[in-house]
Amino acid sequence: MGLLKGSASFVRFSVEGELPDSSLEYLLDRIITYSFEDIDDNYEEYSLGWVSVQNMFDSQFKNSSWVAGDYITLSLRMDERKVSAAILKKCIIKEEERVRLEKQLPKLSRSTRVEIKERVRSELVRKAIPIPAVYELAWNLTEGVVLFFSTNKKAQALLEDHFRETFGLLVKQQIPYSTAEALLDEAQIIKLENASPDLFV
Amino acid sequence: MDLVDLIAEKRWLGQEFLTWLWFKSDERGGSIALPDRGDISVVFEKHMSLESGEGESLERITCSGQQSELREARTGLAMGKKLESARLSFGFNDYEFSVTLSGSLMEYRSVALPRTEGTEVDGSNPEEVEGMVLERIFLLEELTKTVNQCFRMFLDIRLGDEWRDELIKIREWVEKNAEVVTFD
Repeated sequence: MGLLKGSASFVRFSVEGELPDSSLEYLLDRIITYSFEDIDDNYEEYSLGWVSVQNMFDSQFKNSSWVAGDYITLSLRMDERKVSAAILKKCIIKEEERVRLEKQLPKLSRSTRVEIKERVRSELVRKAIPIPAVYELAWNLTEGVVLFFSTNKKAQALLEDHFRETFGLLVKQQIPYSTAEALLDEAQIIKLENASPDLFV
Repeated sequence: MDLVDLIAEKRWLGQEFLTWLWFKSDERGGSIALPDRGDISVVFEKHMSLESGEGESLERITCSGQQSELREARTGLAMGKKLESARLSFGFNDYEFSVTLSGSLMEYRSVALPRTEGTEVDGSNPEEVEGMVLERIFLLEELTKTVNQCFRMFLDIRLGDEWRDELIKIREWVEKNAEVVTFD
């Protein structure tokens, strides 16, 4: 959050490489190809893709804009079915006990326990309601910079992967050192490479 | 070098920048003269965290207080710590931004944008929404450009011949702050 309202938390990414076709038609085609697919009505565990920044249910961009001036504005949506570790543990132990009594065994084999664990996990995941997470971004096409509105490392890794899959371009997080490389001339970059921290006391 | 290694190895760069920015802001009572641009206000507020060491010897302190106080933070400086994050406000062109900047990753957290007519509209009119998005992006980029100009100023000094003198001034500032804390 932060692109449309409220306070913003973000990191800058530089976009590395050239698009094969910079037309808006090409970009929209790529975005739609990698847009979000709903998993509410199936049993998929996980879904990731682009949606409108104005409406997380609009993944076809028919009613919302994805371009503002020289910027592409998108949200990266991830839905994931999750089961808490405590619930999973409880249900596995319960099912193990049921099977052990049913088969009148003093102890279950390792393979049976693995099978029960997988089956119980799968059943619980199917029952779980997908939890959505939405991260906004603004891509400055002229300067090749993306403002990504999350400081969450997992979300940033998802952005890097999905951006590369969608556009065939790498995004590189702008930490101080890489920001410095973009600001300095060659001679200064060499000095920076060899610089070491100084004590301020 | 991959990003994780680069962050670890060059962690000091952003921390030295933030600490230098605090010194620079203190030096001129809350303003910094940017080359080719002139004075902007840079005020460190309420909240900051400082670090020293790395790996298992990493030490961190978090401090809050009023603008000119932050005694524990100043004590931390005297103990050799540097700023890892700080809440600060930037003022220029009649705009005022508040932001928590992190040193090692250059993350912009909890950015409060200046209130302008175009930054808060409801979502009913597509043209108004696009205008608002552009206005907000413009303001965010103004902030990042300003931070980068401060960073560029730091880098020019840090990598140039002036650094030796600047470092002496910074050490004097750290020492003076430690005295203020001791005798207060």
